[in-house]
Amino acid sequence: MGTSVQVTPLSGAYGESPLCYLLAVDGFRFLLDCGWSDLCDPSQLEPLAKVAPTIDAVLLSHPDMMHLGALPYAMKHLGLSAPVYATEPVFRLGLLTMYDHFLSRWQVSDFDLFTLDDVDSAFQNVVRLKYSQNHLLRDKGEGIVIAPHVAGHLLGGTVWKITKDGEDVIYAVDFNHRKETHLNGTVLTSFVRPAVLITDAYNALNNQGYKRKQDQNFVDALLKVLASGGSVLLPVDTAGRVLELLLILDEYWGQRNLKYPIHFLTNVSTSTIDFVKSFLEWMNDSISKEFEQNRDNPFLLKNVSLIINKEELEKLGDAPKVVLASMASLEVGFSHDIFVEMANDTKNLVLFTEKGQFGTLARMLQVDPPPKAVKVTVSKRIPLVGDELKAYEEEQERIKKEESLKASRIKEEELKASHGLNAKASDPMTIDGSSSRKSSNAGSHFGANVDILIDGFVPPSTSVAPMFPFFENTAEWDDFGEVINPDDYMMKQEEMDYSMMHGSGDGLDGKIDEGSARLLLDSTPSKVVSNEMTVQVRCSLAYMDFEGRSDGRSVKSVIAHVAPLKLVLVHGSAEATEHLKMHCAKNSDLHVYAPQVEETIDVTSDLCAYKVQLSEKLMSNIISKKLGEHEIAWLDAEVGKEDEKLILLPPSSPPPPHKSVLVGDLKLADFKQFLENKGWQVEFAGGALRCGEYITVRKIGDSIQKGGAGSQQLVIEGPLCEDYYKIRELLYSQFYLL
Amino acid sequence: MRARNGLLTRISKSNVPGPNGRPNSHHLNVTRLSQAGQASSLSPVSTLRNKQAERQTDMASVAAASKRPATGGREGDQMVITPLGAGNEVGRSCVHMTFKGRTVLFDCGIHPAYSGMAALPYFDEIDPSTIDVLLVTHFHLDHAASLPYFLEKTTFKGRVFMTHATKAIYKLLLQDYVKVSKVSVDDMLYDEQDILRSLDKIEVIDFHQTMEVNGIRFWCYTAGHVLGAAMFMVDIAGVRILYTGDYSREEDRHLRAAETPQFSPDICIIESTYGIQQHQPRVVREKRFTEVVHSTVAQGGRVLIPAFALGRAQELLLILDEYWSNHPELHKIPIYYASPLAKKCMAVYQTYINSMNDRIKNQYAQSNPFHFKHIESLNSIDNFHDVGPSVVMASPGGLQSGLSRQLFDKWCTDKKNSCVIPGYVVEGTLAKTIINEPREVTLANGLTAPLHMQVHYISFSAHADFPQTSTFLDELRPPNIILVHGEANEMSRLKQRLISQFDGTNAKVVSPKNCQSVEMYFSSEKMAKTIGRLAEQVPEASEPVNGLIVRKGFTYQIMAPEDLRVYTQLSTANIIQRIAVPYSGSFEVIRYRLKQIYESVESAPEECDVPALVVHERVTVRLDSESYVTLQWSSDPISDMVSDSVVAVILNISREGPKVVPVEEAAKTKEETERVAQKVVYALMASLFGDVKVGEEGKFIISVDGVVAHLDGHSGDVECENATLRERIKTAFRRIQGAVRPIPLSAS
Repeated sequence: MGTSVQVTPLSGAYGESPLCYLLAVDGFRFLLDCGWSDLCDPSQLEPLAKVAPTIDAVLLSHPDMMHLGALPYAMKHLGLSAPVYATEPVFRLGLLTMYDHFLSRWQVSDFDLFTLDDVDSAFQNVVRLKYSQNHLLRDKGEGIVIAPHVAGHLLGGTVWKITKDGEDVIYAVDFNHRKETHLNGTVLTSFVRPAVLITDAYNALNNQGYKRKQDQNFVDALLKVLASGGSVLLPVDTAGRVLELLLILDEYWGQRNLKYPIHFLTNVSTSTIDFVKSFLEWMNDSISKEFEQNRDNPFLLKNVSLIINKEELEKLGDAPKVVLASMASLEVGFSHDIFVEMANDTKNLVLFTEKGQFGTLARMLQVDPPPKAVKVTVSKRIPLVGDELKAYEEEQERIKKEESLKASRIKEEELKASHGLNAKASDPMTIDGSSSRKSSNAGSHFGANVDILIDGFVPPSTSVAPMFPFFENTAEWDDFGEVINPDDYMMKQEEMDYSMMHGSGDGLDGKIDEGSARLLLDSTPSKVVSNEMTVQVRCSLAYMDFEGRSDGRSVKSVIAHVAPLKLVLVHGSAEATEHLKMHCAKNSDLHVYAPQVEETIDVTSDLCAYKVQLSEKLMSNIISKKLGEHEIAWLDAEVGKEDEKLILLPPSSPPPPHKSVLVGDLKLADFKQFLENKGWQVEFAGGALRCGEYITVRKIGDSIQKGGAGSQQLVIEGPLCEDYYKIRELLYSQFYLL
Repeated sequence: MRARNGLLTRISKSNVPGPNGRPNSHHLNVTRLSQAGQASSLSPVSTLRNKQAERQTDMASVAAASKRPATGGREGDQMVITPLGAGNEVGRSCVHMTFKGRTVLFDCGIHPAYSGMAALPYFDEIDPSTIDVLLVTHFHLDHAASLPYFLEKTTFKGRVFMTHATKAIYKLLLQDYVKVSKVSVDDMLYDEQDILRSLDKIEVIDFHQTMEVNGIRFWCYTAGHVLGAAMFMVDIAGVRILYTGDYSREEDRHLRAAETPQFSPDICIIESTYGIQQHQPRVVREKRFTEVVHSTVAQGGRVLIPAFALGRAQELLLILDEYWSNHPELHKIPIYYASPLAKKCMAVYQTYINSMNDRIKNQYAQSNPFHFKHIESLNSIDNFHDVGPSVVMASPGGLQSGLSRQLFDKWCTDKKNSCVIPGYVVEGTLAKTIINEPREVTLANGLTAPLHMQVHYISFSAHADFPQTSTFLDELRPPNIILVHGEANEMSRLKQRLISQFDGTNAKVVSPKNCQSVEMYFSSEKMAKTIGRLAEQVPEASEPVNGLIVRKGFTYQIMAPEDLRVYTQLSTANIIQRIAVPYSGSFEVIRYRLKQIYESVESAPEECDVPALVVHERVTVRLDSESYVTLQWSSDPISDMVSDSVVAVILNISREGPKVVPVEEAAKTKEETERVAQKVVYALMASLFGDVKVGEEGKFIISVDGVVAHLDGHSGDVECENATLRERIKTAFRRIQGAVRPIPLSAS
């Protein structure tokens, strides 16, 4: 019987929560993606927490939060320890995405769900594969072959093909059939008749316009705002769709010789582009061709400045500019801060290029009509100064002392223990003790930090310094909107000065890479100040679909083309999922499943198969006909057995006559062309093909949609005449008779 | 056609053994290497065939001979591997392989020592149009430089693959080659346009990416040799062939070491450049190199490094740049690389970081290691201010001409200066000469000068040496080893060593010369997978299996016709035919006539309102209107035949008309029948006896020669005096009755 296959969504089913699915193939448990939303809420990962230690392999498909965000957390806290498979760009850009995310979070909160070290260690063991590389799994997964294939959407984006015993399970989420400026379209359509296809219903209800027109609308919208003296904020992801936007803008700016500055602002923007420059072989054919011919690398962006902190941006003042800043959700990161600054000016535009994740600020702003004002928390990490710094240092000192005291105490104990009778037995104990001490040392360092810098400014018990100024922001309204307190701005200026100092002192470090940035961040004692405020949304808001996913119509036609035996739908609003499910169930007799979160469905194929050997004698008598890349023949044989192996021999008695089979797929339009070439008068009339004066050929039943339902039905009709037999002869010539 | 002629002339030229480097091969004997059968299912037998003998006998039929005749039962299992170049030589790598009707060509190089047509591999031995796939391992001239010729000037129409980095450098390198090579216009193999056109035909393949063309599956592994160098593994019907190209198993500063493939190949075509030599360890070489450079510049001397622009040059630059970074005291001493080509290719090196080793990748996370901090490029000697110590890397590597020679001439007399020769040098060049440190050298202007400059030969050549080759083969354990790409001597030594190393195993080592074919037989058993409804039960012995057998590539599947759509991209069709035949008679007639002809004529199930018949459960005949009947059936040879005969029957009925319709007779009343019978009897009687008169109540009065007889037409009683006549009339009547009413209507 077939390979047993079960699918359990852990997140991202009947909803737009992050993608994370469990796929068991003959007991080998794959985790397909490991996403987290920008909100980073550990409670979202509960289903994953239950199964994480049992996972045998993790397959990542795209380098963004929704597909791999939870990986560091799961590795650190949930006991996920399986090898991870991804393409090189997914690995590299995913790593940068996580860095950026951490740094953005860390700047505004005491983020401790994972650290940069956790990110590093999570990505350390990623096995990097090339597209179409067949990777054989070992040990428990013996016999399973996994292969990443081009998915489009994001650089390195992957459609995973998992093969066992000739049966394919295909995991294809967020694919894009369209070729883009920097990416090739997916090769998903080249897979035919997989046993199982797992795909998303995310875009089932959306349809897109033409790409070129879309691009044009996009730059038009930007230019309109820029021309009227406003600035544009594009909240983007760290290293995903932003690449496409950068290319479109860079190219357009180059063509038109536009002078408005474009800034790409993330914590890792320089590294991102550096790496992307070296990923040409993963991009669009025309890009690699361009490079081969002229050594032109499109990511040597000529009109975009890459910046990694806001100060550079602020130097520019209010001049019209385009800023692409992470994160797309506006929850944290530079985009959040810039949004707060820009929202108040009607000239400005905030242009969303992707649908905001559920429950984020971006999503709130994307509703129609947009809200007039939103409440946001403005937080900032500032270095400790004056008394606070002293207090912190004292605290550190105290901790250190305590540590050394403890250490000495332990040492004494150790000494005592070693002097004790059963020294040998206690030895490992003490080693354990001291090492755990060490690690807790590091932990307490951080813990102390948390103690001091708790959110909401409860003065820590140990603190001797006065409380940091806290602004009670009760929004006062008059006829012109919120009453603005100029003092707020004064304070902000001050804060900025601090960070400027801080920034300029370590400007070089910041420029280079995350490694040094991390050192910097870890070493300087700092704290977070938060400020809740209401932001008036006066700027214009717009949404344009640059998500780079196939739209509803294409998804349907791709599914119809791939024609899986079983289809599993995930990730999409309940509405979209139901819609696609109904659509697929109606048009084909394939089995469609749309499991709920934590619902396990069994999609084991009911395919029966056995292997036989074909004897030379038999094969020499078979004359097969060539049909495209197939060769096909009718086989009459008899089974023989040879040491447990089945072998097919020529039949001993004449075989019974069989019903003949016509093989081929006729398109009426092609047939029309064919007949016309033969000199016939042919025309379409009422869905039928009228050949000559009397003969009609037509199709009955929409058999194309009917997956395995059977064969094409053609009718040829006409009065008894010579033409009839001629047309019939020509019609037969389009098929192979077996 | 011009190209073809060109090839033919080249053969006749080249057949003359002589200076153009063609092997003098007339005295080769046909050798047959008999091999013991193997334990595995594959049983290869190798033979070396002497193609040259054929060639000598019939020059005109070269093209024909090259298409190997498809005869013999085992033809399908025969694998033929023929080096068209690089057989017992270094240069013009090109290996032709054919198996199961699929043909693969590995590499397409030129011989750097020859020019024009003579530098090409023996393309006339093969039919380029039969090649399915051409795989190019790396960008070096001896592996890729005849590609524009082969793509643009022969009948080749297959697909070409190389890695991304190879393709990017291939273009630059060949453009440079075309510019530099000083051959007459007639002798030019191709021009720049050909190179550009060839680029469009070249497809790229990434390492480990599996491609399939026409049933040939192939993928490539890192080979180490230069950036983008690949080893190709080809899988045809389960038989695997590994072609290493040039490879190195030693990781260096920027390249990964050659990988060991996951699967053992059945045949390994392997380079043997260094034969049984052994390299110094990398650390030692690097140390020697940097020491020489450092001590020379410290003494105020100049260092000349003649090197080919691409490949090892980048490695040396990395070493120097790193060394300079670690030695701040050297920062004021400039390092130059004087090659516009290398400068152009630097962008490629800066981009395809992912083909390099982890060391470079990690450095890349900080800053691009190919953005050198201490090295500048130099366009020509005019821009070079030769004051004080410096390090210059210049091409060509052989000091034949160009910048490296100019600098050499300038610097060779000063004993403070050094020349470091970093790689394999070709016999006959100045570089080869100075390795032996002669007292005097001849300058480019013809004068002789004393050689005081120190000369160091430190090989950074990234070819495998014997220990590498030996361990590589030991890990792979290929049953068949074919040596290419090595001087005849080195190769034969390597062959002997390998034979003794693999003594006792089944491994065979062969080293064919150019155009000598190695033939092997792989009779792999064909396996098929029965799937779908046919496979619901595994059959017992001697049970029949009937179904479609579908072959795609080299895999077979057996399935029921209904399942064809389910498991393949093919679909089945059903053609329903409906034909209208003019007919205006009674439908019963058709039924009657059909019943006379066919065994099975049934009335159609009464779903329709018009009378219908089903003949042999295939063809439905319906009386659709007064004027025609329709026939409907689904196409199939037998149904077509049945329907044709039905049509014929119907047409016959309409043509013969009602007079032959017996059913109409049956419709007449008995009286009428009686009357007709009477008439017939009368007519017949009259013809027999002449004077016959019809009497009353069906009586006949017959008078013969005055004798009168009365015949009762009903009972047959005859009243007559003449007994003879009476008997005769009785007999006649009986016979007439027999004719008119064959069977008595009843017992009455």
